[in-house]
Amino acid sequence: MPVLVLALLGALFLLAPILIVVPMSFSTAISFAFPPPGYWLGYYAKYFTSEEWLEPTLNSVVIALGATTLTMLLVVPAAFGYVRYRFRGKSLVNLLIMAPLIVPHVVSALAYYGFLGRAKLTGTLLGVMVAHGMLAVPVAFLVISATLKGFDQNLERAAMSSGAGPFRTFVHVTLPVLRPGMLVGALFAFLSSFNEAVVAIFIGGRGAVTLPKKMYESIRLESDPIIAVVSTLLVSAVVLGVLVSMFLRRRSAHVA
Amino acid sequence: MAGQLSAAAVHPDGVVRGATRNATPWLLLVPSCLALVLLFVVPIIYVLVLSVTDPRLSLAHYQRIFTVPVYTRVMVNTFVTSLLVTALCLVIGYPIAYVMARRGGWVSTVLLTIVAMSFWTGFLVRTYAWLVILGSKGPVAAAYGALGLGPAPQLLFNTFSSTLGMTHILLPYMVLALYATMKKIDPNHLKAAASLGARPAAAFRQVFLPLSLPGVVNGSLLVFVSCLGFFVTPVLLGTPRDMMISQLINQQIEELLAFGFASAVAVVLLVATCAVLAIYNHYAGLDRLWG
Repeated sequence: MPVLVLALLGALFLLAPILIVVPMSFSTAISFAFPPPGYWLGYYAKYFTSEEWLEPTLNSVVIALGATTLTMLLVVPAAFGYVRYRFRGKSLVNLLIMAPLIVPHVVSALAYYGFLGRAKLTGTLLGVMVAHGMLAVPVAFLVISATLKGFDQNLERAAMSSGAGPFRTFVHVTLPVLRPGMLVGALFAFLSSFNEAVVAIFIGGRGAVTLPKKMYESIRLESDPIIAVVSTLLVSAVVLGVLVSMFLRRRSAHVA
Repeated sequence: MAGQLSAAAVHPDGVVRGATRNATPWLLLVPSCLALVLLFVVPIIYVLVLSVTDPRLSLAHYQRIFTVPVYTRVMVNTFVTSLLVTALCLVIGYPIAYVMARRGGWVSTVLLTIVAMSFWTGFLVRTYAWLVILGSKGPVAAAYGALGLGPAPQLLFNTFSSTLGMTHILLPYMVLALYATMKKIDPNHLKAAASLGARPAAAFRQVFLPLSLPGVVNGSLLVFVSCLGFFVTPVLLGTPRDMMISQLINQQIEELLAFGFASAVAVVLLVATCAVLAIYNHYAGLDRLWG
């Protein structure tokens, strides 16, 4: 079956370049030589003791957590308002929420460079957090509003006709059913910040270097072999994330 | 107004559904809309303002972009490269999505997992991987040596490597868009075509392919638009001689500190992106792109 062969070749094209970073991370080579001349764990040891790489890692995690919190605080109420009500100007609101996805990141990056620079927020964790929080809004909104659209409101009506107040209904019925979808939304927001490079490169400065920014700079300036270690760790994290989100989705499909 | 507010607070969400003069949706939406206006739209407007005021009030930057050959070449190059990447993604992605949608079982699951994995792997990891593969000490160069073909040609830092890198990075978007449309195609249509005597190739061409076209349009649009403003990969894998728009913005900021001109280039990119999306919106409706 030739289509299957083409599909598998395509999948190989997607996967192989990513997997090449794994053997590279154990390589003894100083530069980007493949196949590796020998194997050791030395660069892992270097990564885990190098301030220069650990700080961006920590920054990325802190920024992504902050951005996710900000995004969720904005998106969860917005998704309820958007999905459950009809109101004037709905399509304009939709356009506004989707805007960070429509505007090319390099344009947003330039915009934040000028805007946050004026507010003296370039090169600060807060600045990158706010920018990433905004960019993640459409990503989280799409997931959470889709979950909400699939929610059977009869469950709420049943709870209320059995005497539960709106608050109890929300806490004991609405939230548990929506939780897997919300977790997927939060995970997407987290990953979108954690992987975001362009805005981080423009506004991170010296004070808020994220992992993608650090990788970008070290690829441009030198060929630091620790990049392979970081890449391998990131690929492992992605594998974990994909498995977790598949698990959550299966559960949310189960509930709905 | 106050009565309405308390009524909305007392009544459960489900009961007030459909009411158009109700404050609840706005209470829920105001925080996000306000945040997006102040922290996203205003910064973008600031770019717009800078493009005509920095260093002085004029449209000179725009005039330069469209008349100086170096810059018009960047525009044309961005457009052509984006088209090429879109075509490559479509050709490589269609069979993957087709198999994912038409074959059930483990093959489909494995393909979906691979696509999701590469979708979520950061651009930098993937760009770095191509630096290794195409580098002068990489596997391609080694294969050249092993086959006795002499020294490998320069594979990195040209249009070839940046096109390849962007195709690799944007392919998952194409596959997911195609897959979303293809999995909704009712298999009974193909069975009906077969029972009416259509060979598999004819059934594919006359039934499946036309039904999958919305996915082709969605995927192509996503890839094309992303490619127009692509930053990391062209900068790291490409060459300043065949710049794309985002490289030009970066160069103007980094080397020349020309904020006004960089802003004008960004505005052109933004307008081009919005124009493409507006055309799509006119014919299909943007909602279908996200959904």
